[in-house]
Amino acid sequence: MSQVAAPGEAILAASASPFWSNRFGRFFDRSNAIGLILPLIILSLWQASSSLGWIQPVFLPSPLATAEAFWVMLTRQNLHWDFLVSISIVGQAFLYGSALAIVLGVAAGLSRNVERFLGPTFDSIRHIPGIAWLPLIVLWLGIGAPAKVVVIAKSVFFPVFLNTLQGIRNVDKSHVELGAVLTLTRWQLVRKVILPSAVPSIMVSLRYSAGLAWALVVVAEGLSGLEGIGFLIFRAQGLLLTDQLLVCMVIIGLVGFGIDRLMYLAQRRVLRWKQGFEG
Amino acid sequence: MMTHHAGSLKIRDVSKSYSVEGRSFPVLSHVDLDVEPGDFVSIVGPSGCGKSTLLRLAVGLDTTYKGEILLDGRRIVGPGLDRGIVFQDHRLLPWLTLKGNIALSLENSGWSAAEKEKAVREHIALVGLEGFEHAYPHQLSGGMAQRAAIARGLVGRPEILLLDEPLGALDALTRARLQEELLRIWRAEGVTMILVTHDVEEAIYLSDRIVVMHAHPGRIAQTIAVDLPRPRDRASHAFADLKRRILADMEAAPALAAA
Repeated sequence: MSQVAAPGEAILAASASPFWSNRFGRFFDRSNAIGLILPLIILSLWQASSSLGWIQPVFLPSPLATAEAFWVMLTRQNLHWDFLVSISIVGQAFLYGSALAIVLGVAAGLSRNVERFLGPTFDSIRHIPGIAWLPLIVLWLGIGAPAKVVVIAKSVFFPVFLNTLQGIRNVDKSHVELGAVLTLTRWQLVRKVILPSAVPSIMVSLRYSAGLAWALVVVAEGLSGLEGIGFLIFRAQGLLLTDQLLVCMVIIGLVGFGIDRLMYLAQRRVLRWKQGFEG
Repeated sequence: MMTHHAGSLKIRDVSKSYSVEGRSFPVLSHVDLDVEPGDFVSIVGPSGCGKSTLLRLAVGLDTTYKGEILLDGRRIVGPGLDRGIVFQDHRLLPWLTLKGNIALSLENSGWSAAEKEKAVREHIALVGLEGFEHAYPHQLSGGMAQRAAIARGLVGRPEILLLDEPLGALDALTRARLQEELLRIWRAEGVTMILVTHDVEEAIYLSDRIVVMHAHPGRIAQTIAVDLPRPRDRASHAFADLKRRILADMEAAPALAAA
């Protein structure tokens, strides 16, 4: 039916309805309730295991005890401060890493010479894990936030760089030919044809590396420094404060979920021209 | 609406060959063709006869050939805004709205923003897509997308519109409708049109003249004037006779001569 056309025969799959109200409304609507079933089951099993004495509280405190620990950490131990430290490291690392990756990825995508120049170096650095860089960077920059920002930015950089490069190389030949027919200049071609065609793969890598950055901050803070969610979780283990450990784990999980959702919404927003994004 | 200045195209002894693994394969051999301003000329022939290649040469996408292609007496040295083209795939950019896609033709037109805006609006109206200015290509049906591609081909007021099997991917009903549309647009705009098609009936229905090509190597076998009065009746005897004759001309090709 999508082949039939006459003036006025409209097949508008998605109207240009206000995005934010629509999407957020839909996020909490009934059809998403199915995703809450599994967490509720896990929560009840957790509760049962402590109420019925399956597992000792020192190894697994009850959900209620965990919630109490959360309250104590928030009101007396400045949990929000540690959270802000972690999230600001992730935010900076993601911003610097991905911005640099997009700039260099575009440059390498557009010029074989830039790619050849950067290639061997990047392919070697890429294989040294960010965490393996941390000890050296800490020697240089100290145990504070900057060292972690650098290391996480490095881990954000490569997925975004490679996907940007690949996205640019995968531009449809027929679109480039169209650009030639329309006598577009090199710059017009880049702006109107090549960059937009790379955006889908850039968005995928941004979403992936945002999650990666959040996971890595926990590791980095666990390895060095005296603040942040990652520091708290390892300290809790050392002091056998299992309830605090669980609080940190839950926060890490929920924030990770939130970051992924936000990136997903951003992706849909940016790629609203793409088929199959009506969801 | 402003009318276009119709251009004349002269193809003079054009030959073209591709080289594959060091061997040279002729795709066009000594092609001569004159298209007068305002003409509607169709090129038909079996696949591999070089009809699309000929169109690519006229667009200026490929300049490695022998002979000359002249637009209004000037040699074609590359793509230019004096020629519009419609491909078989609509080739709209998926990230631009319909309006954005059509306006892309005018990037280098040198017109003022107001002139561009006006031309885009007029050509959206010309192809009957008012109300879809802000739709993305995936929201359009195949027929609507091809209308948009026609509008994009015409919006820069080219002298010649080159059509490379533009209706080939559409269903029969949509195709018949768009054939009517093409005729209407041709009359309204007064632009020279050159249509490559594998559909003989389409060629007869639309054109003043039909160029029959043969393959191996690609060359012009016949040029046939269509003097049937318009609107043409596909069921008439004269139409059927002409169709039979052109099909016979196409069959007459010694298809395996070069093999």
